[in-house]
Amino acid sequence: MAIEKTDVVIVGMGAVGGIVAAELGKAGMKVIGLERGPRLSTADFNPHDELRYFQRQDLRPNWKRQPVTWRPNPSATAHPMNVLNYGNQAGGGTVHYGTLSWRMHEDDFRARSHTVERYGASAIPEDSSLADWPVTYADLEPFYDRAEYELGVSGKAGNLQGKKIDGGNVFEAPRQRDYPLPALLDDQSGVLFAEGARKLGYHPFSSPRAIISQPYHDRASCTYCGFCQSFGCHVGAKSSILVTKLPEADATGNFKLLTGTMCYHVKTDNSGRATGVSYYGPDGSDNTIEAEIVILAPFIYDNTRLLLLSKTDKFPNGLANSSGQLGKHVMAHIMAKVFVGFDDRFVNIYMGPSAQKHTIDDFNADNFDHKDAGFIRGAQISIGPADLEAGPIGTAMAMDPPPGTPRWGAAYRDFLAKYFSRYGAINAQTENLAYADQTIDLDPNVKDQHGMPAPRVTYDWRRPNEKARVEFLMQKMEGIGHAMGASKVWRGALSPGVPGAHHEGGTRMGNDPKTSVCNKYGQTWDIPNLFVIGSSTFPSMSGFNPTLTIQALAYMSADAIAKRYKSHPGALV
Amino acid sequence: MAKHDASRREFLVRAAVGAGAAAGAAASVGLVPGAAAQEQMNHMEGGASSPGQQHPNGAEHGAFFNHADAATIAAFTERIMPSEPGKPGARDTDVLNYIDLALAGAYAELQDFYRRGLASLDAHCRATYKESFVHLTPEKQDEVIAALEEGKASEFTYPTAREFFVTLRIHTMEGMFADPVYGGNRDFAGWRLVGFPGAQAIFTPSDLKSTAEFTRAPIVGLQTTAKGPMGRG
Repeated sequence: MAIEKTDVVIVGMGAVGGIVAAELGKAGMKVIGLERGPRLSTADFNPHDELRYFQRQDLRPNWKRQPVTWRPNPSATAHPMNVLNYGNQAGGGTVHYGTLSWRMHEDDFRARSHTVERYGASAIPEDSSLADWPVTYADLEPFYDRAEYELGVSGKAGNLQGKKIDGGNVFEAPRQRDYPLPALLDDQSGVLFAEGARKLGYHPFSSPRAIISQPYHDRASCTYCGFCQSFGCHVGAKSSILVTKLPEADATGNFKLLTGTMCYHVKTDNSGRATGVSYYGPDGSDNTIEAEIVILAPFIYDNTRLLLLSKTDKFPNGLANSSGQLGKHVMAHIMAKVFVGFDDRFVNIYMGPSAQKHTIDDFNADNFDHKDAGFIRGAQISIGPADLEAGPIGTAMAMDPPPGTPRWGAAYRDFLAKYFSRYGAINAQTENLAYADQTIDLDPNVKDQHGMPAPRVTYDWRRPNEKARVEFLMQKMEGIGHAMGASKVWRGALSPGVPGAHHEGGTRMGNDPKTSVCNKYGQTWDIPNLFVIGSSTFPSMSGFNPTLTIQALAYMSADAIAKRYKSHPGALV
Repeated sequence: MAKHDASRREFLVRAAVGAGAAAGAAASVGLVPGAAAQEQMNHMEGGASSPGQQHPNGAEHGAFFNHADAATIAAFTERIMPSEPGKPGARDTDVLNYIDLALAGAYAELQDFYRRGLASLDAHCRATYKESFVHLTPEKQDEVIAALEEGKASEFTYPTAREFFVTLRIHTMEGMFADPVYGGNRDFAGWRLVGFPGAQAIFTPSDLKSTAEFTRAPIVGLQTTAKGPMGRG
């Protein structure tokens, strides 16, 4: 029954929590971080074990103790689902992520306005809640830059202050300076993908990743072992929050990390201020932290869940929900896949960083003309292993055999034996639109280990705009596969509606308190000392992995809190 | 403990041989566990995760399966990944041992799933062929598995036929391809089948440039390494 007082309490020590803790600690504020998982170290990640980390998901929450449920529509029963990006340790998902580190395009921040300007309002599906962001690329550029340099991202600029550079992403928004580290070495899948894409006139490049290609900030560089997605890095070359910002936060002397703690309630008073949080300790104890500022930074479900569970007479529909938008506009990428198999050579795709190794951006965002396409927005297209991880268990789970080959028996065994080291998966990461009826709420039937209702996701990606886009992308990917010189090119199965990776939304940011939960700093409109920072605030998702944008937003929010809010508490917008 | 380990192992091997013989499959690969695998078994069973693996009844039981169930699982998984000379399958890699240990430990919550699934499988086979699964020809066994995959075996309720098939397929792949410390992938036979060199800590720039098969020894496991070429079939 401990009660502690502090300036700032942060719930969740992942991509956001570590950055905000370090930056506010440096600004002289006392910070307590709550993390439900343990604090591991680089030494814990050696040797690599595919069964433990990929298949049994040891760095993610156990779905029996921390379930998240999913149903395709309100009339279906929800069941627990596996969530790729959910983390369960200090550093959060950045410990086991694939490290893709993108700046969103300029038009990604104004997807609605841009679409209306170029194609007319009728191009947007009637039921979509596609919205502009309250922040522009130019606003965020300095914070993208800080994230790349402070954390350590490897890549090659494709647009340096407006000058297009071959070999980088020529579709990227203009950057003030190049990446701090050169691009990672190409493996054979990247070489083949780049050759094929160039033949078709596309613009391939080595994907920017938060893995250091050279020694950086006293950390050792990548060894190309291939155990990235789902694994912790055994040399600390992955620029996770665990090896970057948490040591910085420690060094401030103002930061205390409480591991094994589960926040279950945000406390508010009758004046409408947040006064702190309640949490269960590792021993099951019930504890309170009183704080001047409460910052929520867990994975997206837990934001909506906590705000709903913390309702009071003053906030009967949940905290920060006067707009009625809490829990709505949930988005997720899905991965549409085309497989390529080579009879005349090996690819050895298990070598090198495992996720989305090489990319073309030609069919992402509005980088191509959508007139008469039958859909809006696009996808990042990349090459990699079937499930972003290249071990034999993951391959047996996710590499669908071509039509005519069964999934078991002697023919399957021979297929797997032949193509395990002779294949690649071309993958389209689709920018699925926001729809108001894609939601997170409290599951009435399923509870977690603490007796709290599980977050329940209601979502089905199979909408007309999304299905038309997938078909278009499948054809483009088949074309790339043939241009790569593959002996076999075949489509992977599509998911049955379930959200794929990078779940976003639920606490949408905006310019208008009537239609959004928080402003661009993640400050909730209703409770100025309660912040929600992370991809739950994204109004649209882009075709890119969200982590670098999440981190840039965290820097921007920390900057505003330290420079403005600290001296003048109140609304930042 | 060591004596129990050996007898439990022997039990599972007999169950697997019995199933293989009944199904008419050639027992072409030695079934005596290799020294390395045995060492890993001993390590596991002496380790912190061992309580579920100590069976009071000793020699005539696996860690979880009784004799009949072990024979059924051995036969079923062998059809999912059949063994042939030079092409190790479920039997050669000891998938049965993997699943047996997993159900007594990490997957203990699936014990009821397996018990009920096996009972439904038996009911389906008896209703359709008047024989238990292990006594069917490989062709008939494949018909049964195909029926499960397509959800066409009405004897199943929980688990559904499809769920039972999907889980058996997943666990077969885990047993083939997880590190040998978990009881399958004997002597890295599963990794040799597909050409996976294990948990290599590093690949060099020339490895990344190569368009040839990677054959540099050793294959790297959690507890042991294996020298020699990959030796794929």
